[in-house]
Amino acid sequence: MAMQTWCISPADLSKAAAKSPPKLGGRANFAGHAGAGEEMGDEMTGFFVTYLRRELGRRMRQGVFVALGLALGVGLVVTVAAASAGVTKAQSGVLSGLYGVGTDITVNGPLWITTHQYCTRSGCEAGPNCTPRGCHGKPELGLQTKIQTPYFDTVSASTVAAVGRLHDVTAATGVLTFVYGLKHAQSGNFTVDGVGTRHSAVGPLSADRVVSGHDFTAADSDAGVALVDSVYAAISNLRVGSVITIGQVRFTVIGIVAGPAGTSPVEVYIPVARAQALGAGLANQVNLIYVATASAADVSAVQGEISRLLPGDTVNTDGSLFSRTWPAPSGVASVVTGSLADTTKLANDLGRWVSVLALLAAFAVACLLTMAAVGRRSAEFGTLKALGWRMRRITVQVLGESLITGILGAAAGVGVGFAGAAIIAAVAPTLSATDATAIGSMQQVAQNGSAAPVASGPVWVPMSPSISAGVIVLAVILAMAGALLAGAFGSWRAARLRPADALRRVE
Amino acid sequence: MTVPTTPTDASTVTSPGLAKVMYQLSGVRRFFNKNGEVVRALDGVNLTIDEGEFLAVQGPTGEGKSTLMLMLGGLDRPTEGQVSFKGRNLGALREHELAPLRAKEFGFVFQTFNLIPTLTAYENVEAALEPFGLHAAERKRRVTAVLAELGLGDRGRHLPSELSGGQQQRVAIARALVKNPTVLLADEPTGNLDEDTRDEIVGLLEGLWREHGLTLVIVTHDSSIARRAQRISLIRGGRLSAKPQAPA
Repeated sequence: MAMQTWCISPADLSKAAAKSPPKLGGRANFAGHAGAGEEMGDEMTGFFVTYLRRELGRRMRQGVFVALGLALGVGLVVTVAAASAGVTKAQSGVLSGLYGVGTDITVNGPLWITTHQYCTRSGCEAGPNCTPRGCHGKPELGLQTKIQTPYFDTVSASTVAAVGRLHDVTAATGVLTFVYGLKHAQSGNFTVDGVGTRHSAVGPLSADRVVSGHDFTAADSDAGVALVDSVYAAISNLRVGSVITIGQVRFTVIGIVAGPAGTSPVEVYIPVARAQALGAGLANQVNLIYVATASAADVSAVQGEISRLLPGDTVNTDGSLFSRTWPAPSGVASVVTGSLADTTKLANDLGRWVSVLALLAAFAVACLLTMAAVGRRSAEFGTLKALGWRMRRITVQVLGESLITGILGAAAGVGVGFAGAAIIAAVAPTLSATDATAIGSMQQVAQNGSAAPVASGPVWVPMSPSISAGVIVLAVILAMAGALLAGAFGSWRAARLRPADALRRVE
Repeated sequence: MTVPTTPTDASTVTSPGLAKVMYQLSGVRRFFNKNGEVVRALDGVNLTIDEGEFLAVQGPTGEGKSTLMLMLGGLDRPTEGQVSFKGRNLGALREHELAPLRAKEFGFVFQTFNLIPTLTAYENVEAALEPFGLHAAERKRRVTAVLAELGLGDRGRHLPSELSGGQQQRVAIARALVKNPTVLLADEPTGNLDEDTRDEIVGLLEGLWREHGLTLVIVTHDSSIARRAQRISLIRGGRLSAKPQAPA
């Protein structure tokens, strides 16, 4: 027989050694065999894949079981995360409905309207000292008798800039807010906000969405254009292109906006420059400042800073009267009641722990099954060692198999998560929240002159779980981590197997 | 004649030839603790095996034959004594030093074949080339050649479960030979085979030994197999003794 045909020549082995420098000391004793221990060259990845595929196929039932275990754990995490996100989203919806979003602090001057006194062109209607600061030198919005004084004393726009420069303040914007209409009228009046025309994350329009037409643009800063609240537009039969008149100035409606559910929106928004032009002495003046802080923890500090900067003004952070918007998160947390808070807590606490336990269980099952499988394969590993496979190479094989199982588990886990989220969306009750301290619209206040809080009804928001890309990535990472952990345990067990012991088990 | 370094005693078996020494075992003991009792699998073995020699180690089951085979293959370490292979003490080598030795020098043939059940015959043989990092084409050439030479050219795609016992053992022999080892260690290679197949496999091993110049060590309880070796060592109670030489 010509047996030499399959033999590895010294030249072949030297070539292999050249690709993988030998590490073995005293290699000269094994001339022509150098490189024998350097496994897993690029050429061998084919065998790695073949072996991997065959083993996974052979142990498909166990692999599927492990993958499903991981999928269940990971799917639960995804479901809980989705539910939590849904609750958070619902919470945001409720909160923005109750308070608006984005703004942590509002600043306004002393209240004028509480005494039903307002300035006209001729001066203070009720006398020279009709406001806490007196009318003298203050804006007179009496160009038209229909224009009532702003609710609050005004400040210069430079004050807004000063507030914006405070430490931990991320955004500040000034608004000139007032009511247009006959004084003491019970109907026909509407609130007007003069706002900046650049989009801002803070301010009265930050939570609104344009349902028709378009938003302000920078080019509208001094244009006769207006945005109208959708409810008011419906009542007043206004649409995009309609014209409304404020103080004999015509404003073309360019957009219809809708605020979050439960809000008491301003009816009309116009560019702040145009609002300031409506009254004498209002140039560059605003009477309400919206402030956003870097974080909820900064609110108190910023509040103090603003109070020091504007000692005579009111700094609102807690949903108190006339902070029309948007109290601080600390205030929000204290006034949100109802099922929303409970559900949030339930989802965040119970869900988190259930997820952790499920994950631990899944990981434990995966580890135990993998270790048991390695135990059953001890003879196989012993044989591979007898063939000259290094432990590292066997470990790579075991980890590879676990990794594939993890990938399958991740894919299935995401599927389970989506299914769980869908089930929750189908069966979850609508969430409600009630703000006991909420107030009615400023118009009501303006008209009533009442400082008493006006209770607002509960806000109902359906909970719709959502799965973000981040959650999917997390699911994949968790499944991989679980699989690799199982693979690591399996490899550890395989590494501890002495070839002789492994082979003796079948001899 | 190669003389062991330790004093000769009843457990000392030396090679009768003048060839280069391949193995030299000196005072090898291997004890196990089993259920609180010390099992003396090997108890002071001295053995010399020359390069190219065909040695049979004969003895009843449970007398230490397989343990001795594992020692020779660097798969187990002695409790005491020294197993020297080509002048290197296998017991002193670390695992990462032993792995290349096993890959290159030793070909194993087991009683239970120890084929990987999920791999085809071809892939089982190919697994032995894994540590060498050879190109796929070269692997294919070698595996195909060795399978053809062992009469398994048409069985490459078969799983072990689809092969007869004799064919499985042929695959195991192909796996041992494909890397061109210097030593072929066969542990009861016919223990799971019928009589006809037994003769076929032993004949095959003997032929390979003759044509390749391999050092062949067979452990067996079967004296008919042992008789085909150049030299027979008897093992009993973990101790070796020489048996009158049978003709090669």
